[in-house]
Amino acid sequence: MTKFSVDLNNCDKEPIHIPGKIQSHGFLVAVDKNSLLITYISENAGVFLSEQAKKLLNKELSLLNHFIKQHDVAFNIEDLLKLGIIRKSFDAISPHPVEINGLPFYLIISPSKNDWLLEFEPVTLQFDIQSSIGRSASSMLLGKSVSALLKGAAQEIKKLIQYDRIMVYKFLEDGHGEVVAEEKEAGLESFFGLHYPASDIPKQARALYKLNLTRLIADVNIADSPILTLKENEALDLTNGSLRAVSPIHIQYLKNMGVYSSFSISLISHGELWGLIACHNYSPKFIDYKAREGAKLIGQILSSALEYRQEEEDSKVIEQFKSTANVLLEHLNRDKYLIEAITSHKRTILDATKASGVAVIFENELKTIGNVPSEKDIRELSEWLKTNTGESLYYTHQFPEIYSPAKKYKSTASGILCCMLNKEIGEMIIWFKPEMITTVNWAGNPEKPVVSAENGLLNLSPRKSFEIWSQVVNNTSEKWLAEEITSVLRIREIIITHINKKANEIRLLNEKLQVAYEELDTFSYTISHDLRTPLTSIKTYAELLLKNKNIDENGQKMLSRILVGADKMNFLIKEILNLARVGRSEIISETVDMESLLQEIKGEVWSAFKADQTELVLGKLLSIKGDKTQIAQVFTNLIGNAVKYSAMVAKPKVEVTSYIDGGEVIYTVKDNGIGIDNRYYDRVFELFKRMDNVKEIEGTGVGLAIVKRIVEKHNGRVWFESKLNVGSTFFVAFKNR
Amino acid sequence: MKTPDIFYVEDDIDYAFFMQSAVQEVKDNLNLIIVDDGAEALQKLLDFAESKTKPKLILLDLNLPGLSGLDLLKFIREIPYLKTVPVILFSTSDNPEDVKASIEFGANAYLTKPDGYENLLKCVHSVHDFWFNQHLRLN
Repeated sequence: MTKFSVDLNNCDKEPIHIPGKIQSHGFLVAVDKNSLLITYISENAGVFLSEQAKKLLNKELSLLNHFIKQHDVAFNIEDLLKLGIIRKSFDAISPHPVEINGLPFYLIISPSKNDWLLEFEPVTLQFDIQSSIGRSASSMLLGKSVSALLKGAAQEIKKLIQYDRIMVYKFLEDGHGEVVAEEKEAGLESFFGLHYPASDIPKQARALYKLNLTRLIADVNIADSPILTLKENEALDLTNGSLRAVSPIHIQYLKNMGVYSSFSISLISHGELWGLIACHNYSPKFIDYKAREGAKLIGQILSSALEYRQEEEDSKVIEQFKSTANVLLEHLNRDKYLIEAITSHKRTILDATKASGVAVIFENELKTIGNVPSEKDIRELSEWLKTNTGESLYYTHQFPEIYSPAKKYKSTASGILCCMLNKEIGEMIIWFKPEMITTVNWAGNPEKPVVSAENGLLNLSPRKSFEIWSQVVNNTSEKWLAEEITSVLRIREIIITHINKKANEIRLLNEKLQVAYEELDTFSYTISHDLRTPLTSIKTYAELLLKNKNIDENGQKMLSRILVGADKMNFLIKEILNLARVGRSEIISETVDMESLLQEIKGEVWSAFKADQTELVLGKLLSIKGDKTQIAQVFTNLIGNAVKYSAMVAKPKVEVTSYIDGGEVIYTVKDNGIGIDNRYYDRVFELFKRMDNVKEIEGTGVGLAIVKRIVEKHNGRVWFESKLNVGSTFFVAFKNR
Repeated sequence: MKTPDIFYVEDDIDYAFFMQSAVQEVKDNLNLIIVDDGAEALQKLLDFAESKTKPKLILLDLNLPGLSGLDLLKFIREIPYLKTVPVILFSTSDNPEDVKASIEFGANAYLTKPDGYENLLKCVHSVHDFWFNQHLRLN
């Protein structure tokens, strides 16, 4: 057998299941599974049996019967083994009490690869512990939370095995461990909360912990006993044995801590090694097999309770998240605005995770709840997320390490979880978790596994220093749980479905509106058209009657009033027809020469209003792209208004000019007339709206409505500036392309 | 049958009345026959052809129930006897499409119905001057 030279760099490769030695508080005999001949025997068997161990090799198992006294003489050791083989389990047989040289021993049988392991160890417990284990288990299970459960387990184990220190040691994600519960003798330094580097318990040791659930190191100072065999090239696998000798590295480790005896119980959750119950004693202390089995049972009960309690705690969180999603869905269906629905009620989007703050960016609005960075910081952060992250989810618990500007608000947002709603326009929800300036206490400096050589002979030495070495973890928040991610994905689905539904509703509404608008245009067109015929009849009859010499002066007057009314109505109908035509007609776009157009309009307007005394000043007249007829309508209306509403001033003056601003050609039509009261600014372009100060002046209130409709059809803008009794300037902006 | 000076097809009884008044005011001895629907107009036209009576001028309202003014115009142009009678299409519509169609089908003129009696009077004056005086002189 090749000797494996172990040190701290290769201890994770040390074949600890085949140490070739056993702890010498008991002795071991192994028999071949086929021949039942003794293949291996520990050297110290000779001490117990008063016979040279070597001599027993390759002998029949029955030979052992000479040295062992059984309670039932008729029942020899081969029968016992055969019974176990037939039953395919030694659970009912082990431990089998025997007597060797007048002292009580337990025989414990377990399988190895090609052999059966027969281990003999002294019986020390004088009473049956069965009942006290039952009591221990039930008082442990009184703990309702996971931490109470662990604390209870440590207490019960301590009562059972009477060791100085009992620790529950939990393996964390990266393999390092933390002491999560502790029970100890008063006066001992506490290890609670300490972290141990992953290298403390090497991989293959963990594998053994999963297979063999208890492990006793009875006394670190007693020399091991070598296993004798004739099969020099085949090491005996002691995985299932309880006497297996301990790695020298581990012995050194225990010695450094002042520990004489060590005992551990594996905690398995969902088939994985969740942790260990590690027990230390500061003087040598053997634990009777039955007490070890009792401790193992408590460990198993704890394991399943842990699974159950953890699941219970997890499912509580999941239920909470699910109900938040449902509540938000209800709010979304009831409320008009999304932001309000998810932020303004008792249950909010913040409850979808365990975060301490959340920001919602939607429709250019930013709404926050809880502890969040400043608005400016959130805006910048959202820009970064928009360009640097994907379409749906992004999260980290160490954001300042990734995005350094976040360092200034790390106390509120070391952890972020971003749920993108619309990446293109940067709509998102961001949850924040504060920095946890956690001080992790290490059992020795994790970065320097070898502190010093123990003595000159050993070129290897395990950790000697056991002082607390602490590390402050910066820029880090609590991790985002899988449940939180699931919850956010669920909420995202709900919100996006909602947004799509809303968008669809708006689109449908828009279509309906479009149809209604067209119908209204057709309606106004038809009605105006049909009204004109009877109106013409009324007017004409009135005219005919006026010719009748028999009608007296009073009658003539009334007939004249009918004529005036009919004319007014006719004009109004014509204007509505014009307005309706704008809606119905297609724009035939061309480049319009404004110079000649305005000259034409001038002739028309000046003769219509008999405005000879009004001065027209034409400035720069840039050409416009648009429908010539409609543009003519715009300027006829604007210039007509300018003339009409300035006619009563001393020197009426109308100025028309244009300029380019950005992508627009802007025309201004300015007069020095009566002006518009700015209080009615918004109503000026409304249909049939006429201002109080123009009651005396002829008009229908349709002109500016037509102007607005035409300009909007051209994707342009129209507005005005005005001062009462000083004048008005109307601006029309057309797209310059 | 007395030869009519003007044959007028008009379904709007008001407008027919105004036309009657206007024509009388312009020249009180002008003979005006008015019918108010297409089918009746068609029968009348056939009677004219049969009895060899030729109106001096035909006025057709464009929008008539049943047969339209344009239909009647086509019909007139297909009757050899009436082919040469001047026909004026008369309508409230100033739709260029209507004007174009009327001229294509052989109307001699297209008139938009004047607004108000005074305007109608002016219109009938012009029509009378052209088609009854000047026109005759030209012939």
